Amino acid sequence: MTSVNGRSRQVLVRIQRFNPDHDEKPYLQAFEVEAKPGMTLLDTLIEIKEEQDGSVTFRRSCRHAICGSCAMNVNGTNILVCHEPLRKHVDRRGRVTIRPLPYLPIIKDLVVDRTSFWEQYLRVKPWLVPPDDVPEKEFRVSPEEVTALHNAEKCIMCGACYSACQVIALNKQYIGPHALLKAFLRVLDPRDSSPGERLADLDGADGVFRCHTIFNCIDACPKELNPTQAIETLRKLVQKRLAFEEARQERQTTLTRPVSLVRD
Amino acid sequence: MSEAETITHDIIVVGAGLAGTWAAMTAGQEGVADVGVLSKIHPLRSHSSAAQGGIAAALNNVRPVEGTGPRGPLEAIPEGDEPVDSLDLHMFDTVKGSDWLGDQDAIEIMVREAPEIIYTYEHMGCVFSRLPDGRIAQRRFGGHSAPRANYSADYTGHVLLHTIHEQALRHGVHFYSEWYCLDLIVEDNVCRGVVALDIATGELHTMRAKAVMFGTGGYGRAFQITSNAMANTGDGVAIAYDAGIPLMDMEFVQFHPTGLYGKGILMSEACRGEGGYLKNNSGERFMERYAPDKMELAPRDLVSRAEQTEIEEGRGVGADAKGLHLDMTHLGAEKIMERLPQVRELALNFAGVDIIDEPAPIQPTAHYSMGGIPANVNGQVIADADGTPVTGFYVAGEVACISVHGANRLGTNSLLGASVFGRRAGRAMAAFVQGGAQLQPVPDGLAAGLEKRIEALMDDGSVNGGAESVSQIAQELKATMTKNCGVFRDEGRLTKALQDVRALQERFKKARIMDKSRRFNTDLLGAIETAHLLTFSEVIVASGLARTESRGAHFRTDYPKRDDENWLRHTVAHQDDDGPRLSYKSVTIDWDKYPPQERKY
Repeated sequence: MTSVNGRSRQVLVRIQRFNPDHDEKPYLQAFEVEAKPGMTLLDTLIEIKEEQDGSVTFRRSCRHAICGSCAMNVNGTNILVCHEPLRKHVDRRGRVTIRPLPYLPIIKDLVVDRTSFWEQYLRVKPWLVPPDDVPEKEFRVSPEEVTALHNAEKCIMCGACYSACQVIALNKQYIGPHALLKAFLRVLDPRDSSPGERLADLDGADGVFRCHTIFNCIDACPKELNPTQAIETLRKLVQKRLAFEEARQERQTTLTRPVSLVRD
Repeated sequence: MSEAETITHDIIVVGAGLAGTWAAMTAGQEGVADVGVLSKIHPLRSHSSAAQGGIAAALNNVRPVEGTGPRGPLEAIPEGDEPVDSLDLHMFDTVKGSDWLGDQDAIEIMVREAPEIIYTYEHMGCVFSRLPDGRIAQRRFGGHSAPRANYSADYTGHVLLHTIHEQALRHGVHFYSEWYCLDLIVEDNVCRGVVALDIATGELHTMRAKAVMFGTGGYGRAFQITSNAMANTGDGVAIAYDAGIPLMDMEFVQFHPTGLYGKGILMSEACRGEGGYLKNNSGERFMERYAPDKMELAPRDLVSRAEQTEIEEGRGVGADAKGLHLDMTHLGAEKIMERLPQVRELALNFAGVDIIDEPAPIQPTAHYSMGGIPANVNGQVIADADGTPVTGFYVAGEVACISVHGANRLGTNSLLGASVFGRRAGRAMAAFVQGGAQLQPVPDGLAAGLEKRIEALMDDGSVNGGAESVSQIAQELKATMTKNCGVFRDEGRLTKALQDVRALQERFKKARIMDKSRRFNTDLLGAIETAHLLTFSEVIVASGLARTESRGAHFRTDYPKRDDENWLRHTVAHQDDDGPRLSYKSVTIDWDKYPPQERKY
């Protein structure tokens, strides 16, 4: 590793390669890259693919942390490579190691099979179930009720949390932080008419009580979301399910009235 | 590699963004459940999710606080008070924004269906930002005379996409995730299906359908600095063109004024909608000289030209003085954290700047493709300037050119257009299928032909095989398009661009890919996508070269005036042996209500 006037230097990028069609098992392949100012990890991967080895395979699209394609494991941590600077992840020996998201079957190189991830997402019925009585205009949802959703709507389904979760590592039946965060979004939404059913489902063997509060999900989330907090909230609600259901039914009788009137 | 079995559906949709997903879901709701949606990336990765600022509709939820001027605070309109917005005003703003190239029958439909579609999104579970009384919050946006951008902080597109995708799943829509459409099967003006690649396995599939719809998005990746995702390589546009379908108004490429300097990443127009200023290297709010009335909230083409002028006249900022400043420091931390959190993250991550304390460096960025595949108001594709319909082929969203956006699109009208016309196309396709449409025969050997094309790209041993690099060709294309077919154009530069594109097309024949595996081969996809960029870039340049006027986003320094007498018409381009064959289509105008006027802000 040489530093030339502090502005650029050679970095060793080790990428995990594996093509099940002709490799017996995964292996690390090293590429030398000149680190330029402002270069992200994704820029690095793209440069390697374009200039050194076109067969290096990874998912990417938006390159500004909204599409969720490029979650990978870098130096042991799950991150979104598009918004992480290369220099931040170069270790003392001038190396950075890029592997696919752990605990998921590898399709090729850094591309993993997310079937179980999407199955759990579907399992919590991510769509809103509105009340039968739908107004002509919008439902009246207060700014406070939106805030209480704790930004859960920001989740881009990148999989960094899911694949960092130790429970998932051992048990693919666990619903997982991503789907539980989505379930939280729907349970807390005053427009959703099925909180009772949702909570009953989350109370099961693979639901909210499977979380061991290890907090890997919070560390991994590129959007700084808090699935653990959502899960803890859901646990409390699960235990007060009937009361919560009643409160929801009550709230839904006022959903078409302006919010300030409700407070009076 | 042997060809897998042919797959059939009543309807096939290519593209799972807002337009495609609305179409698929709507067809199902109308009773046609046999719909397959192909997407070359997982549906939730679609570029619709990148839209930030809002979706337009004249809901009349807010108005400016009296006496505070055009950039003052907004307040909720109390029940029963005078509205400040109307469908008419939204229509007029859109027509004027389009520089009178927008088809007014289509615009009328879009603004009319707008309020209802917003409420539908909300009923489906979109978490919009709210006013204290619980109604959907609205903000100002460029080119709109009233605050009608309905928003969810600054990630509106993300919320809309996730919501419509969830609803589609609820309605049982079947998604072919990571399937790449390679070819459109059209014969005798009848669309019969597509040929697609299952990216994970490399298998080719002929897919037959009674109706096919493209919701394949735009083509910003032909330029160096773009807000567009890497997936936005105009595949649908190129594939249709190669199949004999014309393209319309391709020369109209919108350059968004505030892409992050050097990267092109979008910094929402909402930054200006919430009160941000544009400044040059002497700290001057230069928009005063270009649009004294609307200032930073003039439409995007105007603002980008103002910026480009400032840059070219030496008043830019940044290492190569090609940037300008977007200053939001006066908005206050609270407002930024509440209304522009994503934009703040982007500036921190990609420019190292906290917009609470410092201005963000920005520059014009290739953002939206007004041009595309021409269609009528029900999304049915037309085969020529006379409007002859193509049986069984539909489009909606950014790939379509109906045209609602004409020569320049207003912000927040894209999410609206994709939703409204995606839904309409879904209804039209369902009606077509239920009306007795049949599967049509497809020629033999289509997949085999594509197989050969793939093998040829891998064949280093052939003559000159491997003499050229795909990525090198792509870079040179983007360089010439940015320099010679950008914000300002002229005959000399456009001619040069055309020569360059054609030379690159020739060189591409010698390009080969390194990855020879059929499994998840993104090297192969990159090569095919680059071929597409070369295909439609020629159409953009040729159309721009022919149009000797300036209108909307197409600005000719050698023809700086709008010329309604000769050019109030759409460019239609067909593929021919020696390049695009151009013809022209009239614009639908209500001469009594919205006759062309001078476009001043």
